[in-house]
Amino acid sequence: MCGMSGNADILIIEDESTIADFLRIGLSYEGYKVVIAKDGKTALDYIKEKEFDLIILDIMLPDIDGFELCQKFRNRNLSIPIIMLTAKKEVSDRVKGLDIGADDYITKPFSFEELLARIRAQLRRSGRKVENTKLYAGDIVLDLETREVTKAGELIYLTPTEFSLLELFMKHPRRVFTRETLINRVLGYNYIGETNVIDVHVSHLRDKIGDRPPHLIRTHYGVGYAFYPEC
Amino acid sequence: MLKIWNKFSLRARLSLLYVGLLTLSICVVGIHSYWNVWHLLFYNTANHLRAQAKPVIEHWLYSKSDQGKVLPSVSESFSLAKIAKPLAYDLTSRNTVAIILDKNGKILATGKRLPEEPLPPSPNSYYYSRALAGENEVNYQTVVNNEPTLVLLIPLRATPVSRKILGVAQISTSLSPISQILFKHGMMLILVAAITLMAGGGLGFILISSALKNLRKMVNICQDISKGDLSQRVNFSYYHDEIGMLAGAFNNMVARIEAIFESQRRFVANAAHELRTPLTALQGSLEVLLRGSQDDPSAVAKLSRGMYQEVTRLIRLCEQLLGLSRLDSSSNIQKKLLNLNEFFDDFIQQAKLLALDRNVVLKKGPFVYVKADANILSQILFNLIYNAVQHTEEGGNIILGWRLVPDEVEIWVSDDGEGIAPEDIPHIFEPFYQGKSSDRKGNKGAGLGLSLVKAMVEAHSGYVEAKSQLGKGTTIKFNLPLT
Repeated sequence: MCGMSGNADILIIEDESTIADFLRIGLSYEGYKVVIAKDGKTALDYIKEKEFDLIILDIMLPDIDGFELCQKFRNRNLSIPIIMLTAKKEVSDRVKGLDIGADDYITKPFSFEELLARIRAQLRRSGRKVENTKLYAGDIVLDLETREVTKAGELIYLTPTEFSLLELFMKHPRRVFTRETLINRVLGYNYIGETNVIDVHVSHLRDKIGDRPPHLIRTHYGVGYAFYPEC
Repeated sequence: MLKIWNKFSLRARLSLLYVGLLTLSICVVGIHSYWNVWHLLFYNTANHLRAQAKPVIEHWLYSKSDQGKVLPSVSESFSLAKIAKPLAYDLTSRNTVAIILDKNGKILATGKRLPEEPLPPSPNSYYYSRALAGENEVNYQTVVNNEPTLVLLIPLRATPVSRKILGVAQISTSLSPISQILFKHGMMLILVAAITLMAGGGLGFILISSALKNLRKMVNICQDISKGDLSQRVNFSYYHDEIGMLAGAFNNMVARIEAIFESQRRFVANAAHELRTPLTALQGSLEVLLRGSQDDPSAVAKLSRGMYQEVTRLIRLCEQLLGLSRLDSSSNIQKKLLNLNEFFDDFIQQAKLLALDRNVVLKKGPFVYVKADANILSQILFNLIYNAVQHTEEGGNIILGWRLVPDEVEIWVSDDGEGIAPEDIPHIFEPFYQGKSSDRKGNKGAGLGLSLVKAMVEAHSGYVEAKSQLGKGTTIKFNLPLT
């Protein structure tokens, strides 16, 4: 068992192409399989053809009102989790959306990370694609709930940064991360400074998990790092 | 003084003024009435005494003929001193007393014999000399033993018509009975005045209060409104007096302000809403890039193109908002006499650049001068052409031109594009309004272009109209006044 469990299928119904684009690229990067529908009619066609694990639905659509579409899905007895996406902030709109059968409601502009968290929560709750709370790589076990790491049953003490780093690597095995991306993901988007600070964190992490050559965390010279679990 | 007066409320001022006027008029009437009564009683008494004295004096001074005609005393040896005593006695009664004076002011005789008879006042030389000079009706008032006393002076003539005056008879009587009557009368007047003042003042205060009650009500409502509740209105049962008219005008004003506030609020909400979509795309794209997609060149290309589009959209929105706010102050408009011929010759070149592959045709109207800001006029036309381009296919036609109508010049831009749905036409000039067909090309604007056109035309005291048929095209025309 390596990396992330199952790639959930997500249907995005959004007519603004720029928003649809970043959702597609961003969610694909996170490992989801993404299909985009630009209007309600296309969305209904997709729904007939394929079973999705989650729907992200914009309320303002050119042909059908998002609320109406949501009701149509529910009338078909689809129990897919639906996250509504809208620029309307009024409480009455949220209540309407949730009453009609949406499972969650997120208002524009939103943080992508928040959307990811809500997607994970919906997937977990619906029990469709259960994301493991424990990640395995050889004799290394990372528990996302207790935030503990063990190697061969023995507890390893990691700093929060090192933990995030290891979590990222174990979730995306064999993906090459540049130092910039690692900094953004681990130290936050607002970090300003040298990129080689990540080298220090990686070297500490290697020491702590007893990573000897051939490394689990391998250096790609001039690019960054990637994680190769023994499996 | 005026400062203190102005510190009072209107109600207090009106009440004070009313009570003051009431007091003044009551005082005038009272004093006048008092004086009239006094005058009447005084002269009545005097005339009565004179009437009584006349036959007595005639009896002693003159002899009477058989026919009852009064004749002068013929006797040369007639002397006033001789008859003074009996005359004085005869003129004196229980409440009057007489003295007789000769030409030199010497008292010849006093009528007082009994102790209950009043004491005669000593003669006053001023009145005495007036009587001696021949004045018949000399009456005056004096005080004897603390009692007001009326004094009459009667010149004693040698004959009834003679100018020769032998002496003066002084008759006096106490005015105490009259004083008592006058005192009662005065008391009565004061009592009536007090009652009238209290009743009148109270009634006046109530009347003024009720008239000003509605003003008070308005003050309270104004205070509520100033706290921010613009839905408040003044509710009076009647509107035909001045306060009612004020309330009506006030209500209209508040309704107007509320409408303006509401449209402002909607405008700001719409503007924020329009900002939300591009900002969402920008934030999301940047986040996705930072999370790692920056390492994928195709993702970078796609996302950065999208972000560029959104930034362009934000800039356009920003410029339109600024344009609208700039039009709010007329100082930014510089109207000059503009030759439309020359203006369109310049403009058509730029319009063709903007129209890309559409055919732009200019249909010139008659030679005319318009008073307008050239900059703003070209912005109006740019917006209309931009709109036409958005809603026509490539190779479509855009026609613009002008013609004269009475007192106005009409400028139009028409296209043969997709047209506007009839239900959308009444709303297209509203800020942020987006018809169903407006996002056909995915080239969404904020819906500000036409509202900007409307504002700019109205800044030139003109008006704008739209005609459209679905599938056949749209004509938007605006009229500017000819000065």
